[in-house]
Amino acid sequence: MKCKTAEKWILWSLDGRLDERSREGLEKHLEACPSCRKAAAEYRSMLSLLREEREPAPLPRFWERLEPRLRDEQKIMPLVLWERWALHAIPVFVALVALAAGLFFFTPQSRDMSQSEALLIENTNPFSETRSLFEQKRPEDKSMMLIFASLDEKPSVRRQSP
Amino acid sequence: MDEKQLVRLAQDGSQAAFEELVTKYQSKVFSMAMSFIRNREAADDAAQEVFLKAYLALPKFHLKSEFGTWLYRIAINHIKDVLRKRGRAREVSLDDVRKLSIADENALEKAEAERETEARKNLVQGFVQGLPEKYRVIVTLRDIQGLPYEELSQVLHLSPGTVDSRLHRARRMLRTKLAPHLGQEGGSHEM
Repeated sequence: MKCKTAEKWILWSLDGRLDERSREGLEKHLEACPSCRKAAAEYRSMLSLLREEREPAPLPRFWERLEPRLRDEQKIMPLVLWERWALHAIPVFVALVALAAGLFFFTPQSRDMSQSEALLIENTNPFSETRSLFEQKRPEDKSMMLIFASLDEKPSVRRQSP
Repeated sequence: MDEKQLVRLAQDGSQAAFEELVTKYQSKVFSMAMSFIRNREAADDAAQEVFLKAYLALPKFHLKSEFGTWLYRIAINHIKDVLRKRGRAREVSLDDVRKLSIADENALEKAEAERETEARKNLVQGFVQGLPEKYRVIVTLRDIQGLPYEELSQVLHLSPGTVDSRLHRARRMLRTKLAPHLGQEGGSHEM
């Protein structure tokens, strides 16, 4: 057994955590190793000194001194709870207002599409609608068609020339 | 009445049930505070604060762990806060420990048997206070307060393996410092 393992086992043994077989192995090692024997004695002595350090009794009338403090705390507890709740509620409220404002101002408003946009969405060439207008030879006919097209929307463009 | 029933009653507002819990744990909590703070009045005050905090936090305790474990966790956190507030200047520094050891070394030479033990206790305490915080906490909880390993693991939120290795390291550090002052008590090497 290595001395490093023996040291670990010494401490486990002093804690009552070493099984019987390992304990026997440790005993054998300690018989043969003076430095581990010394370490074991030092650890035993150190731990017994530490255990004596325990201070069991608080100052007298512990509960009698504690009870009025508990009562005082109980009185202010609802206030404390309200303060804690308010501390959490305020930022949540502010966040909700900001979210609502954001939704109101930044949601894209629905608007009517232009005729060209509608045609593009339908995957139709918007110039096909105006082709008939360009094909007119007489300027009066062109002017009339333009007037009708400006009066109405899409259907007016499709109106055939007389 | 078992502890869980007492806790439930205390959660329902029974002062008598809470008093029973305080009576059961006051010595342990005080002793733990005393191990770190080293002043009876301050340790007593810290113990009172721990119970106050526990009382206020009772509604949030869901009995997932033992009441004692939960209370020790509150105690450790509170004691750490107290020590932080008192400032490191008031804690025992390594230099103080060295001075202390020289003073106690002189005392050891002169004193009688009982005084020797007392001086050695002071020396041990001085060295414990001089350990880095994580080692001081684990040595205090295990070797002074006698908390079982499982409870150490729960109170400190550490795995059993970490508890084992950290405690081992802390004890080795302490022994290295204390070795020159420890008497070879009991010649037997039996464990």
